[in-house]
Amino acid sequence: MTQGRSGKWQVTFRVFRYKRDAGLARYDTFPLEIGPDETVLDGLEKIWAFQDRSLAFRHACHHASCGTCGMRINGVEKLACIVPVHEVARDGGTVLCEPLRSFPLVSDLVVDVGQFFRRLEEANFEIIRIAEPLPQAQEEALTRFENCIECGLCVSACPVAASDELYLGPATLAASWRMKEEPRSANVPRVLANADQEHGCWRCHAAFECSEVCPSNVDPAAAIMALRRELLKRKLFRRSDNAG
Amino acid sequence: MRTGRNSGMPWLVQAISGLALVALLGLHMIANHFVVEGGLRTYEDVLDYLSTPAIFVLEVVFLLVVVPHAFLGLRAMLLDLGLKPRIQRILDIILGALGISASLYGIALFVTLQGRI
Amino acid sequence: MQDDQRGISRALAWFNVSGRKMGSWAFALNRLTGIGLTLYLLLHLGVLTLLVLGEAQWDAFIALARSPLILALDVVLIFGILYHGLNGIRVALVGMGIAVRWQKALFWGLMALGALLLAVSGWLIFTI
Repeated sequence: MTQGRSGKWQVTFRVFRYKRDAGLARYDTFPLEIGPDETVLDGLEKIWAFQDRSLAFRHACHHASCGTCGMRINGVEKLACIVPVHEVARDGGTVLCEPLRSFPLVSDLVVDVGQFFRRLEEANFEIIRIAEPLPQAQEEALTRFENCIECGLCVSACPVAASDELYLGPATLAASWRMKEEPRSANVPRVLANADQEHGCWRCHAAFECSEVCPSNVDPAAAIMALRRELLKRKLFRRSDNAG
Repeated sequence: MRTGRNSGMPWLVQAISGLALVALLGLHMIANHFVVEGGLRTYEDVLDYLSTPAIFVLEVVFLLVVVPHAFLGLRAMLLDLGLKPRIQRILDIILGALGISASLYGIALFVTLQGRI
Repeated sequence: MQDDQRGISRALAWFNVSGRKMGSWAFALNRLTGIGLTLYLLLHLGVLTLLVLGEAQWDAFIALARSPLILALDVVLIFGILYHGLNGIRVALVGMGIAVRWQKALFWGLMALGALLLAVSGWLIFTI
């Protein structure tokens, strides 16, 4: 790897562009001088600030907490705010930025996450951060599910969600399992019934891509398998919540 | 769309039939090909093979497990199309009819050949 | 919002494994082999009709089926059966909540077994 005298790299950002009124989508290239330790989000902000004010992308916290800057970087779902340029490109190389798959496209790198959040709500998912004490948090598994930052990377990576737009998706199913494990005020039978549908937990084909890309180690795939095991037990042995 | 108690049934049937097929197809391949000189049974060999009741049962069971597994697999792919429930139901009926036809056809073949033994 | 991802192109999206990891490849190959095996099953049932037609028809087919090209295609068939069956064991077990944590090791272990069985089957196909 070669570094410039200023410690900056010359990196080309190849960015997916789409504006509803401008017709077909295209890719724009933006040459950029950027430090290898700066993040992809830093690069996009520089492009927005100095090259193209019409570039649309979502971001907020800059530290993998808000989950808004999820996108595909070089074809893989990542949070742009925590990916240093040197991880995805070399000096003189190219970084490809595309919006998440399986979400309706709004503009450039911005997708519509409305449906995604509505599905999380249907799972009664309460957004409680890991820093907040849990009443019965003795198992690591509980806190792991709590880590979901609703970034949508798992949905974009999932091959089933890519095909089946009715599929509830890994995040919702992980949230469902999370609410079953530590229900708080959730109506567990309703949460399980929501997951127990043809386009719910039974639709997963065990590709495990959701767990591969999850930036918070939520492991949605394991949650889906746990849900299935629970539902199978309930169906085969007629177990109810009252029966434990 | 199936919901509630039956929604996991296609998946469960697919998983269990799949596991059963590992054994059934394994036996089918070994008995029909890998222990046969030349790898394929001649007409006389086939009749001789089917004359064993256990083999006849094995082949019928294999047929009745493999056909639902294949058609449920096709159905899983069709689910991706996100079809309207009514159209999905029609497709389910068509696939079911095709599966039943294929099974009946296979059984008719076995029975016809048994009649020649 | 654009809706050009809908319909048929969306239904084929599972086949796009670009940049994806083992799981997507395993899933796509499982479907491809599943489609192939379903077509083969229907073809197989159709070919068995020759048995009903009589000894001459069946034995003529057997002679054809022993040609090197068909035997080579048999190796492809065995690959499909072994892959679909062995990966299917992983998918079924993991789907029931069994060995979820070890699913990658399970996959590669089963694939190693599959490679061995494919080699043995290939050898048998051309020698028995």
